[in-house]
Amino acid sequence: MSVIENVYGVGKPSREIDNDILRPVESFPTKLWYIAFGMASVGVVMYWAIAGYSFKKGLGLFAINSPVGWGFYIINFVFWIGIGHAGTLISAILYLFRQRWRTTINRAAEAMTIFAVMTALTFPVLHLGRPWMVFFFFPYPNERGPVWPSFRSPLLWDVFAISTYFTVSLIFWYMGLVPDLATMRDRLVNNEAKTKFGNMLLKLRKNAVNILSIGWVGSAKTWIHYEKMVLILAAISTPLVFSVHSIVSMDFATAIIPGWHATIFPPYFVAGAIYSGFAMVLTIMIISREVFQLKQYVTLKHLENMALVILLTGMMVSFAYITEFVMAAYGGNEMEQYVFINRLKGPYAWAFWTMFTCNVVSPHFMWFKKLRTNIYVLFVISIVVNIGMWFERFVIIVTSLHRDYLPSSWDLYTPTFYDYAMLVGSFGWFFFWYLLFVRALPQIAVAELKADEAGDKVKGYGH
Amino acid sequence: MTSFEDVKKGLYRYEDPETGWVAVIKDVDSLIAAAEKVRDAGVKKFDCFSPFPIHKLEKAMGLSRSWIPFISAIGALTGGTFAFSSMTWIDVSNWPRVMGGKPYFSWPIYVPITFELTVLFTAFATLGAAIYLGRLGKSSRRPVVNTVTSDGFAIWIGDDMSKQNVESLLQGLYTDIRPVTK
Repeated sequence: MSVIENVYGVGKPSREIDNDILRPVESFPTKLWYIAFGMASVGVVMYWAIAGYSFKKGLGLFAINSPVGWGFYIINFVFWIGIGHAGTLISAILYLFRQRWRTTINRAAEAMTIFAVMTALTFPVLHLGRPWMVFFFFPYPNERGPVWPSFRSPLLWDVFAISTYFTVSLIFWYMGLVPDLATMRDRLVNNEAKTKFGNMLLKLRKNAVNILSIGWVGSAKTWIHYEKMVLILAAISTPLVFSVHSIVSMDFATAIIPGWHATIFPPYFVAGAIYSGFAMVLTIMIISREVFQLKQYVTLKHLENMALVILLTGMMVSFAYITEFVMAAYGGNEMEQYVFINRLKGPYAWAFWTMFTCNVVSPHFMWFKKLRTNIYVLFVISIVVNIGMWFERFVIIVTSLHRDYLPSSWDLYTPTFYDYAMLVGSFGWFFFWYLLFVRALPQIAVAELKADEAGDKVKGYGH
Repeated sequence: MTSFEDVKKGLYRYEDPETGWVAVIKDVDSLIAAAEKVRDAGVKKFDCFSPFPIHKLEKAMGLSRSWIPFISAIGALTGGTFAFSSMTWIDVSNWPRVMGGKPYFSWPIYVPITFELTVLFTAFATLGAAIYLGRLGKSSRRPVVNTVTSDGFAIWIGDDMSKQNVESLLQGLYTDIRPVTK
């Protein structure tokens, strides 16, 4: 197969691409993976143990009080939902804009979206206090009289937005995997293990990929529909990703709490979500390309592009911060003005300044080519950005709530051990799934990459 | 665009190769050329297999555009109508409540959920259509040539033809021709 020159191409024949990308899937995990997976599993156990304990003891385990009724749970929820947004941006929006560099990071980013949404989803449910009543959210004909959820509440919009987001992302991701699963299936055909136990495992693997590849044989009469489906899913995911974080922001913006009640919230939250999501993709891809020897697939150029997206969205977020302050100053509402002065100088000023340093200052290192092509710098900044974005949600939620209209009801919010443990545990839960993913499924969309490698004459995927 | 008659005849439908010949093709260009030749020879039952989508193949094989957008549009309309009308029915007739002095029928507030369900139904319709039209979902199916999901290309000719005829039709484009075995 001839290979046409391509900036992001690897210039390898298809067979070698298969070998490179499927190697982690077809070989035994390394010690490093077991250590990472062990740590993540400890996190998962801790997470669900505390969650279970809180079912018995109630939400009093955590630091939430009156007036700070939304604490770490909602902060973590917004944080993880935000992380997810980069995956859809890469897989859908960059696809529609024909950004070729997305090909090699798309699968991993999409997987990250799904696991981040799975992590995020747990928080509001646990925050209910009585999570077993979660079905009350869903409008279905019931025998409780006619009792329906209120369609005028942004919290209910959230239920719809996030469950739709999760479902559509899952469909998009899984259907993208189908041709690659077929590749895995056909590579396994002649494999035989040496031991009886090995053969049993192999049979299990074969059955799994057989079922999951749903009879894909690469027929042109299937590809033609498949490509159209990918295009349409990308087209509907694009407004979806904007709507999800807009609706999350409306949980705040439709309340009358000073510091929340702002029309800038939807675009501000969407920009922040993409900002933190790209930082997370960067963190993960820097590790993956090193560990799984994917450096020729995820090149410095890819990392640089992501760094530029971080720079852009970082400036959008900074602009939103400034706008918030200007609006407060110019709007003339004393309560609003107080909240913002309180952010700068109040008891949570340390959180505000952490956020400010991480989110406003750190992306500007990306202006320099030398820095944004240095993976050590990129790695540190990607983590710093996510620390900043977590603090952004902390600042929005805690500083706005802890001092509202009535000084008599003011209080401080001091997180307990359980709050911190749930935050750490949520990372365990996320990486637990991600680590399973990297061993079970190809991290790079192999079929898409081959189409790119074959060059302009095939121009696949929706052209 | 496929005419409705064609759809009824199943002309563009995927079919599992059960009769005829499979030719292993060496590269993308040859596959496109082979598809054109087979189409021009008036072969009715044939299909091409490749590890990735090849845009030019659609024309070469004489395939028409996919029907999926229409089915997606039906999904979108269904989802949007269902969401909007059920919220209206609940708020206006089944359980009317005054909230914040707003009218029972406050349509702007229905926009977010209407949008989300439109997207959800579109996704399901698109997924269902792709699986149905592409004839996916049969896990026991295996490719005609094992390499077509990796780096190989193949063309299947299902019409009644002798091996000599297939060979002369695909002169210089194939590396191997074998009969289809079930």
